[in-house]
Amino acid sequence: MYIQQLLGFLVVLFFLARLIAHKRSGQVNREEFYLWLVFWLAVGAVIALLKPIDTLVGRLGFSTSAINILAYLGIAVLFYALFRLRVRMAKLEKDITKVVEEVAIRKK
Amino acid sequence: MNMLAIIIPAYNEEQRVGNVVHELKRQHADALVVVVDDCSRDRTYDVARAAGATALRHVVNRGQGAALRTGTCYALERGAEYLVHFDADGQFVAADISRAVAVLEQGEADIVFGSRFLAGARANLPPVKRYVIMPLGRLFNRLLGIRLSDPQAGFRAFTRTAAERLQWQQDRMAHCSEIQRAAFQAGLRVREIPITVIYHEYGQRLSGGFRIISDILFGTFTK
Repeated sequence: MYIQQLLGFLVVLFFLARLIAHKRSGQVNREEFYLWLVFWLAVGAVIALLKPIDTLVGRLGFSTSAINILAYLGIAVLFYALFRLRVRMAKLEKDITKVVEEVAIRKK
Repeated sequence: MNMLAIIIPAYNEEQRVGNVVHELKRQHADALVVVVDDCSRDRTYDVARAAGATALRHVVNRGQGAALRTGTCYALERGAEYLVHFDADGQFVAADISRAVAVLEQGEADIVFGSRFLAGARANLPPVKRYVIMPLGRLFNRLLGIRLSDPQAGFRAFTRTAAERLQWQQDRMAHCSEIQRAAFQAGLRVREIPITVIYHEYGQRLSGGFRIISDILFGTFTK
């Protein structure tokens, strides 16, 4: 096992511990808990399987290592998540405006 | 007699909104003057009310576009036949309202936009606005299919039918371009008239212009 993998596992363990602490204190609901649990377990699995993924990436024709491909994918996913978050926020903003407008007119 | 409603979005305008309402009431005694206080930190609401306006208040600041929508909905509920969007800071002059409404009454247009750039207009625009921000705004509007001389006309008058058809979504400053675009897309008969604009403050800056473009582009994903 490489030292980088060991560090990766430590990071995953840290976030799993935080997730469990949040669940115990009731800060995350059941669905969200399982979503993030699956996410961090998947990250752990990817770290454990770096070598086979390296081989797979090579067979797919990429001239880079698995860790780079995963980093690129991670960035793409983050951008998408950011976009989704912004869309959701825009929807919330619109809903707030609707309520504010309604209150302004009805309170007259 | 057809009711005229003048809608004024206001945010922290206690110094000027009183005079604006008085002047409007003096020139358009029968008009419904609606001031929508967008959660000001000062006494805008009380001053507007004391001056004789119908004052509505947003409990949370939502922006000029939202305040105009609130006022427009209220005016339509009250049965207004002609609606005018006006500013609270005294930059527009009440006399321009009669000319705009006359165009509507004569059936020549469904919506009239005020322009600072037509012959006969009087506007003391700062040079950066006149020669940089406005040409860029005009260029961007052309891409949206808007063919008007003033890309950010805050003064507009429209008929009840036009108001019911114009559904703008933008809460903040991008509503100007959005209303112009919606007017063309809805196939409304659009006219521009020269108006007088007296600047007391700089108003929209270049950074604000970029925010407007960003809001419009992002708005296309969230409708």
